[in-house]
Amino acid sequence: MASLRDIRKRIRSVKNTRQITKAMKMVSAAKLRKAQDAILAARPYAQTLEQIISELAVRSADQELAHPLLATRPIRRVELLLLTSDRGLAGGFNSNVIRRANRYLYENSNLQVRVSTVGRKGNDFFRNRGHSIRKDFAGLYATLNYRSAANVAEELAAAFLNDEVDAVYVVYNEFVSAITQNVVVSQLLPLQPATAKAAATPTPETVAAAPALVDFKYEPSRQAVLDRLVPQAVNIKLYRALLESVASEQGARMSAMENATNNATDMISSYTLLYNRTRQAVITKELMEIVSGAEALK
Amino acid sequence: MAKLTVEIVTPEKRILSVQADEAIVPGGEGLFGVRPGHTPFLSLVEPGTLTLIEAGRQDRYFVAGGFVEVSNDKVLVLADAAEHVTGIDVAGARRRMDEAQARLKDLNTADARYALEQAAVRREAARIRASETR
Repeated sequence: MASLRDIRKRIRSVKNTRQITKAMKMVSAAKLRKAQDAILAARPYAQTLEQIISELAVRSADQELAHPLLATRPIRRVELLLLTSDRGLAGGFNSNVIRRANRYLYENSNLQVRVSTVGRKGNDFFRNRGHSIRKDFAGLYATLNYRSAANVAEELAAAFLNDEVDAVYVVYNEFVSAITQNVVVSQLLPLQPATAKAAATPTPETVAAAPALVDFKYEPSRQAVLDRLVPQAVNIKLYRALLESVASEQGARMSAMENATNNATDMISSYTLLYNRTRQAVITKELMEIVSGAEALK
Repeated sequence: MAKLTVEIVTPEKRILSVQADEAIVPGGEGLFGVRPGHTPFLSLVEPGTLTLIEAGRQDRYFVAGGFVEVSNDKVLVLADAAEHVTGIDVAGARRRMDEAQARLKDLNTADARYALEQAAVRREAARIRASETR
């Protein structure tokens, strides 16, 4: 049986661990709040952009919504972008993304898939398994803002336009709530505006509204405006995916650390019970020795 | 009298949402004014100064390019960046402009980065001009 001293040592070490996990939980909670604010702050722009594209499609439904980034071609070569975190200890956050990506690779073994990563964890995983990584967008989280996200999106768009790949997918944790994250594979390119579909299959409302709507006046021209709108929509889509991934990471870490703290508390109480029992047993044993010693002297 | 609703949003936050009598926007082909009843209009926005007129008073914002949509007396400005003219960091803008100009000197006009740096110079120059109108 473990000695009293051993048990005391164990209790102390678990207490220290609990302190750390508790602190990490609080840090994640604070970061989560910031990340959620960033998601909310990005929402008006994304929605307005979406709305403008949709209005443009509806108001000039007679003309095609044409832009190279909207062009679909037969998919043979695909780029898969993984959004993982730089740090671990976030529960299933990274492994879920990696597992989903692996499943994608397995299911689409007939396609040429090249992998790019954001975040060290995904990069480490594929590198350690000898999988080639086309590009690691390292250090993006340190300076994550719209501009840095747009740079990544523009690079992916350039590969698409140069006909290096036929589609770009992003695998990331969609933020549902602080305790729920949802891994999704979302198509970044070619861009599929929800609105293009809406324009192709008019709903009763758009039909009813259509005669009342006059087409916009454009400056310099409809195409020139569209040429700027579409890349912007791609950029903002990736930016939002990144923001969601960051918020998910903090949420996942917060609940992982919450669980770890609870487990440590359970461990401490069971060790404390064991400690008291052992202490009692030692006292009893000593008493018995004294009594039997005294008995022998009689 | 009818009023315009003017909103300026950037990817990182909503800068402004106010009522105004008139808005003067730096459009893709020069400044244009918007008053209530304007025809639906979709334009590019160049780096420049956006002026709002409300009850005879003017208020100015710097916008760093983007789009503007005018419909139903609503002016929606989607800008890459925007700030009130009093909030402009002039020294920072001047420094960024000088840096971009220095990089431009070493670049060939055919280089893809040339256009980017040139846009940066134009943007910062517009920012400095905007700061002078306050």
